[in-house]
Amino acid sequence: MAAHGQVLACDAAADAAGVAPGMSLAAARAMAPTLNVVARDVARETAALSALACWAGSFTPRISLVPPRQDEAASALLLEIGTCLRLFGGIERITTAVSAGVAAQGYSLRYAVAPSAQGALWLAQVMEATVYSNATALSAQLATLPVAALDLPPQAAVRLAQFGVRTLADARRLPTAALARRIGQDAVGMMARAFGELPDPRLPFVFPAQFCADLELPAPVDNAAALLFAARRLKAALAGWLAARQSGVSECILHLHHHQQPATALPLRFASATRDAARFERVLRERLERLALTAPVDALRLEATGIEPLPGHSGSLFEASHGTHGMAALLERLRARLGETSVHGLACRAEHRPERATATIAVAQGGNGTPGRAAPRPFWLLARPQALRERGGRLYPPRCKDPLQLLAGPERIESGWWQEGEMDGASLGDVRRDYFVALAADGRWLWIYRDNRLPGGWFLHGLFS
Amino acid sequence: MSGANALNQLAEVLARPDVWRGGCFPGTSLLALPSGFAALDAELPGGGWPRGALTELLVDGAGLGEISLLLPALRAICGNDGKGDEGGWSLLVAPPHPPHAPAWAAAGIDLARLMVVAPAAGKRAASDALWAMEQALASAAPRAVLGWSAGADARAVRRLQVAAGGSGALAFLLRPLCTAAEATAAPLRLRLCAAPQGRLGVQLIKRRGPPLTRPLWLTLPRPKTLHWRNHASTLAGAPSAAVAARSPSWPALA
Repeated sequence: MAAHGQVLACDAAADAAGVAPGMSLAAARAMAPTLNVVARDVARETAALSALACWAGSFTPRISLVPPRQDEAASALLLEIGTCLRLFGGIERITTAVSAGVAAQGYSLRYAVAPSAQGALWLAQVMEATVYSNATALSAQLATLPVAALDLPPQAAVRLAQFGVRTLADARRLPTAALARRIGQDAVGMMARAFGELPDPRLPFVFPAQFCADLELPAPVDNAAALLFAARRLKAALAGWLAARQSGVSECILHLHHHQQPATALPLRFASATRDAARFERVLRERLERLALTAPVDALRLEATGIEPLPGHSGSLFEASHGTHGMAALLERLRARLGETSVHGLACRAEHRPERATATIAVAQGGNGTPGRAAPRPFWLLARPQALRERGGRLYPPRCKDPLQLLAGPERIESGWWQEGEMDGASLGDVRRDYFVALAADGRWLWIYRDNRLPGGWFLHGLFS
Repeated sequence: MSGANALNQLAEVLARPDVWRGGCFPGTSLLALPSGFAALDAELPGGGWPRGALTELLVDGAGLGEISLLLPALRAICGNDGKGDEGGWSLLVAPPHPPHAPAWAAAGIDLARLMVVAPAAGKRAASDALWAMEQALASAAPRAVLGWSAGADARAVRRLQVAAGGSGALAFLLRPLCTAAEATAAPLRLRLCAAPQGRLGVQLIKRRGPPLTRPLWLTLPRPKTLHWRNHASTLAGAPSAAVAARSPSWPALA
């Protein structure tokens, strides 16, 4: 990777060829003629850092970005974890979780834990995975750091080298006021903040009000497994963003961008608001497996469209109840594969016409009371009434040789005159029927009706069961 | 090996829930939910519908009374049986016809705890239904799963039985009568048939315990009828009493 004619970072192969950061691009090309140079894109780096900051919201709400600098390949995130240690069970667990999370998203990481933000930054620049929880030990360690390796202002670094100052301990032995005059107040201020002698206020990262994250794929992808893997990064950012806002997502849209083709929108709906990454992944996997891609995908965008507040829930003391939470996860998995309309709840509608008395609803909810009706109603209502044969004064169900026996009735249902003449798919129209309970020869209990206005007149409408 | 040791080992083996002797019910108490029919409970191992095991109901078509047979258990599941201890979900997978909500509500089923999975008709409908049932059982979220399947093969039934084993839920698979002769993994199989006077004939064709050859006649709640006999049909002067007059005949088991 290069910017302004200088190598900023290089991979292992280039390193073996002798290319090193800081080298001019011409020199690097001379050492490795097949060098693949990638221009630096600061805007994308900043976007990636923001996404990572969103993800880090699942650890702490107080995050600060150290945006990438011109001459520095790495950028940094500062997480204030002092107040969250108890929640996560100690420094070690939180650092393990952060490292694993960053690695899972495909980034490399160096981290340090220290009581001062500037101290942690400097430790991370020089050493691997250092943890200092007390200020004295931090000061002792900081004092040994070589000045040349730190990101002090360039002028100050040069001056200090000219003084013969090698480590921070050397620098701090000099009188502060005189040092400030020579290398600038900035550098001296940085040192004081690193050692915790001055407060170190940082601009907090402001979580975006709407979640919308983009991910450009390194190469066009045409299979579900690779897409699922790529979407993991966006999913992690979304989970952190939701955690910081104490919210859950009930609906989001994954846009799949194709080269020179309109994007495919893949809406993901959840039966209840969630920020559980595993649930998200299950639904996404079902949807992706059933999606026929029109073209290879070269970028993803995840947009959260339905956000609901999701308070934490208390655990049960005695037994884990899988009640509603497990049910919601099951329903959204069924819906992802079978379609939204295939999984539904039932509700009663205040309506006399049987076809209209059942409402199918997406989420089952407390019924508006049981209908206080003495007349019998069947458990199953045929999707469309079946005509009955009438012969010799007796009724015969379809494909049956023996006649029906009428046991109860008639019950007149007459309603819907206001919809007369609207006999289309949506409305039922005016209904005037006499319902009977009938027993078929094979022992089935039927709900049949007679409609004088239709030819034949007798229909099978429901099954008691 | 000493004799006492061998006896202990034998007792251990016999105590396993998946081992049972032909002559008696398994010694371990199964977690069963009373079916609400005393005559049936007396014959079911554990004294009710088994939780965490698949129960097959063999019945042709809908309308014989299979829902009425399960109603007391479903009411108990949704917490509407007066004890109010459960409040669990029930799931209907691929029902033969659309359910009529007022009837279910009037029968005491809490509609807020009932979900219906009706895969869209098509080539995949049958496999989707079995998949949905297996997912539901594997998730252990619903406390009762009722599935209708005509095309489930022995392998699919075994998968359902395995999924049910971990769930602790009531699992019912309703299959056509023609599958009675097939060997399946379900530990409890019931064959249903119509009986005179609105009763339902139930024959236990497989259970963990001694075989039961005699059918049970259960009285189910039926829609209120005006007259049982000699009801003057509005159509025919003479009533057809085909069922009432005929004694139920059981087809021989293949």
